[in-house]
Amino acid sequence: MEFNFSFQETWLHKTNPSLKFIIIVFLFICMLFVHNINFLINFMLGTLLLYLFFTGHPWKRLILISIPFLLIFLTSSTSMIFFGKGDTTWLKWGLVHITEESFIRGVHLGFRGIVFAALGIIFALTTRPVYLFYSLMQQLKLKPKYAYSFMAAFRLIPIMLEELLTLRYALKVRGVKNQRGVKGFYQKIKHYSIPMLAQSIRRAHRIAVAMEAKRFSVATNRTFYYQIGFTKYDLLFIFYFLALFGLSFATTAYFPYLPIEDVRYNG
Amino acid sequence: MKKGLKLTDILVTIIISLIFGLVYKLWGPLYGVVSTFGLHVEQLIYGMWFIAATVAFLIIRKPGVALLAEVAAAHGEFIFGGEWGVVTLIFGIGQGLAAELVFAAFGYKRFNVFVVSLAGIGSAFASIAIDYYYGYIGDLALWNLLLMFGARIIGAIVISGIFAYLIVAALEKTGVTNLVRPASNSDYRALD
Repeated sequence: MEFNFSFQETWLHKTNPSLKFIIIVFLFICMLFVHNINFLINFMLGTLLLYLFFTGHPWKRLILISIPFLLIFLTSSTSMIFFGKGDTTWLKWGLVHITEESFIRGVHLGFRGIVFAALGIIFALTTRPVYLFYSLMQQLKLKPKYAYSFMAAFRLIPIMLEELLTLRYALKVRGVKNQRGVKGFYQKIKHYSIPMLAQSIRRAHRIAVAMEAKRFSVATNRTFYYQIGFTKYDLLFIFYFLALFGLSFATTAYFPYLPIEDVRYNG
Repeated sequence: MKKGLKLTDILVTIIISLIFGLVYKLWGPLYGVVSTFGLHVEQLIYGMWFIAATVAFLIIRKPGVALLAEVAAAHGEFIFGGEWGVVTLIFGIGQGLAAELVFAAFGYKRFNVFVVSLAGIGSAFASIAIDYYYGYIGDLALWNLLLMFGARIIGAIVISGIFAYLIVAALEKTGVTNLVRPASNSDYRALD
């Protein structure tokens, strides 16, 4: 199996992975306190801008990846739209009770989902896992035995995928048919998970023994092949989000799309 | 005996978790499709997102494994481009911590269906707590909220409790678990 996964390096690739990671987690916490849908819309546009123009990946791939965004929007919003609390009824049909408040709250949740999806994808598309773990070791003092274990494990993913395919063919060629219902579901899980897990554990054990022999588990005073530091692009990344916050606040204050300041129910 | 996890434990845990990380990633679209049926049917399969902690703990049986497994699986999902992005990591930490606490409450010495299901329920509660802030679920109509909780907890018991237990029981027959488990008291007794 070969994937063509080429892309252009942008400034997002050059930002420090740990810093990028911390900022995104920090944004997550901030977003939990945003209850104003106008602000959220502005902020969402800002993140989508970053996703569409600065990840350095080709258009086709970006569009393909963004299909699940729509699904996210639907899954995060539908329950709240149909069953949320509210007073101004739009539609009542059996159990479904759509009100203005619940609709807006649902849409707010959908947008929130999209913001995080976009931030997550931006991170995943612009960060090489190896750099992330080297940076975590150097900047955040993650223990090398964890970091190297993660990196070794990532190398095994292609082997696992190949095994999964082999397994599928093997089951097919033997004419295995799945039953329906919960029992069938369990059998399917079993058919795939047992061989996959058994093989992976054996392989992991062998690799771990080799790594221990090479002293990967020793934590003190080690040197690193990749030295990851900070650059001017880190400042750019921080300023982008600071500016986005400022702009979102300003447009929310002066040009609100909707006259709603808090989507939570207060009745 | 040295405290803490050895590199072998960590690597095996992470590799198991990455397999589940892939499953978690694939579970996202499935969850999306199922949720279009409405009435929180999708919550019945939510329990799959708790399974890494319980399976890894049952295989390796050491303190810290459940938390590491759940975080690693969430990280895997994140790196494979999971739709929920950073949110997965926060949920992973919460769910892993909850499962870990349940195993700790039994002194890391009980490995039966009951304890594993309890760990699944713990993870379910953790995810509900995070959802409370993230998804405004307090603003759902009450009957709907209870339906959601109920479905999620049932899913947690069936998938991350019972299925996880059965999978590891089947895995024990292959003999690989002996590679990574610490020696138990019965092993020492066999030497006498």
